[in-house]
Amino acid sequence: MKFKEILRKITGNHEVSLALILVLMFIVVDILAGGTFHSGTNIADIFRNNALTLVMSLGMLLVLLTGGIDISITGVLAFSGMSIGLLMKNHVLDSIPLVPRCILLFIIAIAIGSCCGLINGFIIAKGKVSPIICTLGAMYVWRGMAYIISNSAWASAADVAGYSDFGKDGSVGPYIILAAAFIVFFILMKWTGFGRKVYAIGSNKEAAAISGINVDRVQIAVYTIMGSLAGLAGALSVSIYASAQPTMQTGTEMDVIAACVIGGVSMSGGRGTVLGTLLGGIFYAIVYKALPLVGLESIWQNLIKGVIILGVVIINVVTQRMMKRRNLARREI
Amino acid sequence: MAGKSGRSISAVPERSPLRRIVSWEGALVLIFIGVLVMGRIMSASFTAENVLREMPKYLSEILIALPMGFILIMGEIDISVGSVVCLSATMATFAGNAGLPFIVVVLICLLTGVACGALNGFILTRWPELPPMIVTLGTQIIFRGIAEVSLGAGGSASYTNSADLAGLGSKVGPFPIAFFVVIIAAAIYIVVLAKTTFGRKLYAIGSNRVAASYAGIKVGKIRFIVYTLAGLMASMCALFILTTTYGVNTTTGQNYEMDVIAMCVFGGIATTGGKGNLIGALIAGFTIVCLRIALSIKNVNDQLILIIIGLLLIISVLISSITQSDKFKKMALKRAEEKARAKAGAAEGQPEKQPDDKTE
Repeated sequence: MKFKEILRKITGNHEVSLALILVLMFIVVDILAGGTFHSGTNIADIFRNNALTLVMSLGMLLVLLTGGIDISITGVLAFSGMSIGLLMKNHVLDSIPLVPRCILLFIIAIAIGSCCGLINGFIIAKGKVSPIICTLGAMYVWRGMAYIISNSAWASAADVAGYSDFGKDGSVGPYIILAAAFIVFFILMKWTGFGRKVYAIGSNKEAAAISGINVDRVQIAVYTIMGSLAGLAGALSVSIYASAQPTMQTGTEMDVIAACVIGGVSMSGGRGTVLGTLLGGIFYAIVYKALPLVGLESIWQNLIKGVIILGVVIINVVTQRMMKRRNLARREI
Repeated sequence: MAGKSGRSISAVPERSPLRRIVSWEGALVLIFIGVLVMGRIMSASFTAENVLREMPKYLSEILIALPMGFILIMGEIDISVGSVVCLSATMATFAGNAGLPFIVVVLICLLTGVACGALNGFILTRWPELPPMIVTLGTQIIFRGIAEVSLGAGGSASYTNSADLAGLGSKVGPFPIAFFVVIIAAAIYIVVLAKTTFGRKLYAIGSNRVAASYAGIKVGKIRFIVYTLAGLMASMCALFILTTTYGVNTTTGQNYEMDVIAMCVFGGIATTGGKGNLIGALIAGFTIVCLRIALSIKNVNDQLILIIIGLLLIISVLISSITQSDKFKKMALKRAEEKARAKAGAAEGQPEKQPDDKTE
């Protein structure tokens, strides 16, 4: 009886079940890899390599919660990352000492991202354009802008030397940003009026509007936040990979969406948590890291990734159906 | 809105020439002509001959735009088509290199596409509460993953036995074969959408899926058919891609889904479902193809083309959403009423002032 109750609690809560699966998977992978997987450097690597996805998944959580979607994020990332890469390549800010210069570069990237996001939000909220179309167009535009401003050239490791120390192997920079972002968003979504409003809009837009929420303004804010996080990810990307290219992170937007969906965020809006998003992101990251360790070549990675995404969403639906049926059965008695 | 004179205004809107141009398809034709004129002004080598020669490279994407139009009209989306192109092209290349007769190669290519589309359709109809975006995202990664695995470490393969492909890529008169295939396929899809019950059902599902299923439409069956069609057309596209590239690599067909969706939306199909037609999408498709050719002849940076397509997409949707907003409709209604009143006033005034005019 007691075991059954525990089981029900586990299957009833997406975060708990996902966390359990994560732990199980971690142990299995660790055994398969001969105990090399649980080392500190390996875990640190997992977070560092997936810092961009994790950071952007927070913004995507907000966007998905309002029932929207944003596929322009990697375009924004490339545009903002390329911009600061070019600033360094052309030695524009060299007169400023290193530390304030890095901070300034981060702020510039975030500002560029915010502007891109603001434009998206404005078109979607005021122009009533469907989010996928607007951000599809924006994806082309910002990615194209990244090519145009850079003239299809790179900013190399030598160009971004000094700045890249912030995100290089062994530096704590990316971890601090990750931790700060997750704590801020956890508080934002759990204990502030803004977070409540986002959930309200996602659950029922009309009801939210009638109860006095300025839907347009919240939507614009959500896309602006998404843009600023994409800008932050752009700055991080230049720092972590010590280069800026117009092609960087092509296709990552799908990884970000997949991480959110694995974490239990509903595509139709209103359902999903920061904790779930974190777990979804880590799940994705561990799979990515584990495949080569358990002896699968890298060409298999995409195939396995796709199967996992499909598997998770299908299992999700099946368990939900089961729960519904069980609840109905209980009601009859 | 009957005038005081008793003359009633007909409910059928007048299709004045101006109105016809103002409609979205009319505007698209104008834009299309504009692109052609611009291309001609920009570069002297933008001739019909050159355009037709460059066309097969871009043309085959229009093939996928047709079933994508169906899917968007149903209010859904399929982002796996680009990967289906890659996988079918891979299978066709392997089959061709194994020395199979060309007709078998074609069949294998098409069957691969149908199987991929049917898998999408199966998952989406078996678990209808799943969002199509996520399912096709998963299959997008899987299909490309299969292609990557089968292509092996090199990540590319070339079609060695190229004589048959050259036949498929050849021309009938000045037109490439792909052109005729696109036109025939487009005609079939347009007729099916506009003139058959199947097409009506697609609109019904897009407007209200639940109501459609209560009205006796087998929603699951139709969705399955449409997703399978998308797979089939993607594999046809793959065949024509092979006739220009003579090989396949892991990035073949990447981002096609976005280009194709852009064509459909630019052609006036609403992603929310239930609205739009394929004629618009076809014109939009040819407009984008000609724009690309014009800019590539002029050696304009490929990425600038992306920006232009992106902006076109956003602006076209923005315009249609503004003209359909309540505020704009009210304004238009007011203007129409004023016009009608003025007309009625004039009609009333006329007989009093010059009563003899009409009897003469």
